[in-house]
Amino acid sequence: MSRFVDLPRYVCALGGAVATINALLGAVPILHAGAGCGGNIGNAFNGASGHLGSGYCGGMALPSSNVFEREIVFGGEERLTEQIETTLEIIDGDLFVVVSGCMVEIIGDDIRAVAGKFRRADRPVLAVETGGFKGNSYKGYDLVLKALFRDFVDESSVKDGKTVNLWGIVPAQDVFWKGNLRVLKSLLEKLGLKVNTFFGDGETLDGLKKAGSAALNIVVSNIYGIEAAELFREIHGVPYISVPFPIGHYATENFLRSVGNALNLETGVPDELIKEEKKTYFNYLERVIDLYNDMDLQRYAVVVGDANYAPALTRFLSDDLGWLPELAIITDLLDDGQKGRLALEFVGYHSGIEPRVAFDTDTSGVVNHVNKCRPENDGSGYYDGFNPGFIVGSSFEKDIAETLGMPLLTVSYPVSNRVVLDRSYAGYEGGLRLAEDILSILVSGR
Amino acid sequence: MDFTKEKIPPVREDRLGACNAFGGTCHALSRQAKTGCLNNIRRSFTQTQGCQLNLSLIILSTIRDTVIIVHGPIGCGGGNIPMANGIKTFQKLRDPAAKGVVWLNTNLDETDLIKGGEEKLEEAILHADREFRPSAIIVINSCAPGIIGDDIDGLAEKLKDRVTAEIVPVHCEGFKTKIMATAYDSLYHGILRNLIDRADNPVPAGEAKGNSRKVNLLNLSSMSRIDEIELERLLGVLGLEARILPCYAHPDDFGDIRDAALNVSVCATHDDYLTGHLREKYGIPVVTSDIPVGIAATGKWLMNIARFFGLEKEAGQLIESETGKLEKALEPYRKLFKGKRAYVAGGEIRIFATAELLADLGFEIVGLHGFHYDRFMDDLLESRPDKEKMIINIGSGQPFEQSNILEKLKPDLFVGHLGINGWAGKHGIPVFAIFGPGASYMGYKGAFEISRRLARILRNPMFSRNIGENARLPYARQWYEKSAFAYLEDGDPTSQPSKGAEYGQQLPA
Repeated sequence: MSRFVDLPRYVCALGGAVATINALLGAVPILHAGAGCGGNIGNAFNGASGHLGSGYCGGMALPSSNVFEREIVFGGEERLTEQIETTLEIIDGDLFVVVSGCMVEIIGDDIRAVAGKFRRADRPVLAVETGGFKGNSYKGYDLVLKALFRDFVDESSVKDGKTVNLWGIVPAQDVFWKGNLRVLKSLLEKLGLKVNTFFGDGETLDGLKKAGSAALNIVVSNIYGIEAAELFREIHGVPYISVPFPIGHYATENFLRSVGNALNLETGVPDELIKEEKKTYFNYLERVIDLYNDMDLQRYAVVVGDANYAPALTRFLSDDLGWLPELAIITDLLDDGQKGRLALEFVGYHSGIEPRVAFDTDTSGVVNHVNKCRPENDGSGYYDGFNPGFIVGSSFEKDIAETLGMPLLTVSYPVSNRVVLDRSYAGYEGGLRLAEDILSILVSGR
Repeated sequence: MDFTKEKIPPVREDRLGACNAFGGTCHALSRQAKTGCLNNIRRSFTQTQGCQLNLSLIILSTIRDTVIIVHGPIGCGGGNIPMANGIKTFQKLRDPAAKGVVWLNTNLDETDLIKGGEEKLEEAILHADREFRPSAIIVINSCAPGIIGDDIDGLAEKLKDRVTAEIVPVHCEGFKTKIMATAYDSLYHGILRNLIDRADNPVPAGEAKGNSRKVNLLNLSSMSRIDEIELERLLGVLGLEARILPCYAHPDDFGDIRDAALNVSVCATHDDYLTGHLREKYGIPVVTSDIPVGIAATGKWLMNIARFFGLEKEAGQLIESETGKLEKALEPYRKLFKGKRAYVAGGEIRIFATAELLADLGFEIVGLHGFHYDRFMDDLLESRPDKEKMIINIGSGQPFEQSNILEKLKPDLFVGHLGINGWAGKHGIPVFAIFGPGASYMGYKGAFEISRRLARILRNPMFSRNIGENARLPYARQWYEKSAFAYLEDGDPTSQPSKGAEYGQQLPA
């Protein structure tokens, strides 16, 4: 049985679905839900995903059937039909996706049947059940991907060995999603690949439609988008690999080689490419060697994040930055199998560090894990504690950071204290950004 | 009548004749309200809005030393995620030791919807009490547990001896009402039943009441500490002491509420449920005039309070001295604003007060948009000298109608509500937020500060202009060729589009 969550770091499946559709250029969600659902979701992402904004047709502009008592009693399909008709008249979009909230699912409205009535409309209308009780935002992302792969992507018997699809980076829940997709796409393009990321810069619905002709799907996550990858393989016969979210030079090299191996690229991943990327990376990173050593900028660290960021940040801190990330807390709702897979991402560090890994969905739980992890002060005056420390987490760690006197960089959702535009923490470039942002905090008093 | 005997308060559609769909002139709205058929108007296209849970949570989160439990599926209450740190900062302005916002979601899943969610709620309440030791645990019910019949009041009763905190159930099923402002009634209902009307909380003795100079000053979550200080200052000059609540108050403050001589509300639509109950049940009178935004409204507000205490002379002197100083300070701004055209959108009470201030400063008001209508708007509509011509749009958000109107009216300034300001900005129009919990709006200080900020915003509107030239709004071209009110319909499917449609057509093309 699932339990309550203290300060949840996600919204519901409907919320994740809406954020995902909003991130797809040309697509417009139509909510079949209570009047407050869209507003609630809009606030959650607009304010806590690096001030993402309403986007093209999100926030208060979200088309929504706004069901009330009347529809709950008599059924809401008629109202939804009307809302789809009027949305098609008013809203300029290329693809409309009906998503449902809890209430209309409880009363049994058949949204797919209603959407089916618009088969002959000049623009496609899809439907996907995303009732909030089905799971959290990450679940909504998977549900929408599955619907797109099932109902929108064309089947293609011919595969292009140089084309890949990449997902697993969840729009809005990953505050830096767009920058991350851009960086990973441009890295893979250096291998001569054509890359569809669906939600990144320059992507089109047409690209999504033809995604079935790819040779490989790359899921940059061990958790998010996996169900969708399974379905894609089933329908379109495209295999997938699941790779951890890469930050910094070790993880990115691993990422590139995993893709190269999976594609059986004849030449493999060219060593020159990795050499060149590393050269640039260290050419920049080298600059802080004076500061790092003069000021002793090595830190103990606590990482709090989702299933993509927590492992990636912890590994970067350990292996790229040479820090001591003693504790990582993963805040997602996960089953035991998923927890097991994630635990494996914390072993085999080049530094030899073995971080303690905790799974906790409660924000108030973070402080308990930190206390458990720190050696107790015996009051002798000689205390080998957990300082100097640093927290890489979310805006919810502001209190504990203040209490423990540790500086905080917010990376994982919610991030309400930063404005995020095109910043990326993925790849070589992302490693540099992260080093900049972390170290800048340490010198911000100057 | 005493609604607090019931577990759930009535919705505003029933209690106040509230509606959230209209387009036409102020006079037409007022006329149609009198016929009582406003609530039949509906939109055949709607955009999302907000529900009473969203709004209740914003207000209840400000109350110190509480834990809030949102009883619902995992997304309910998520709109609060970005607010937590900001609310803590504002709490600390009232109490430096304030602990900030803690809220839990009971994470109802498919199984819970079948077998009921009370067990999970019980676990959450016990955890909240043990882990955080708050004074009050506020349980907010969302749609789903409402429909499966979870009995949150029964559970609160059952657990009351096992937890130290007061349990305050608040019923916020979003689907029950189109009017977000029903939230005010729902949360005051919960507060009245559990923190005020209690057998162990006797009414204070007679002499303390009525003779005292203590007033309950009812604040808003959209109000800043600066505004509170300004209103406290003005009341202080009259020798009155203000106890400020409900926002940022401590649960114990509500227990003391009945020792005041007077309830002072700055917004009838916000407070009438509470003040009405306190008047009827405990005989505490209430002064509700328009929100003290602007020079005239502040004067009127002060005078109404002063009249109650027989302090008209003192208030007259205060108003005269304050306005004298202010008028001089405002002189340079009046020249800047003369003839600039402004469109004003927001809460039903605030838009009228703000429009009056803007007109006083030299702006020409070209249109109004209220997030809902209820009977507290009637006098405001009728007292506008231009009521026969002034366009008013009623809708919670609904930025598609707003975009249509702005495209036609092309105002020099948009004054609006959080959530729709960005949509006006995408038209390239400079925007002034009609409220903000960090800025000064109220009293004489507010009138000056609003003027200063307006002058600053209008001095360089390049950011909105740049975005306006380069952003794409989501509406089809043909939408702008229709009446802004083309999707408003009377409830009867055989009838023509609402009367508003003809007025919408009259907006300049």
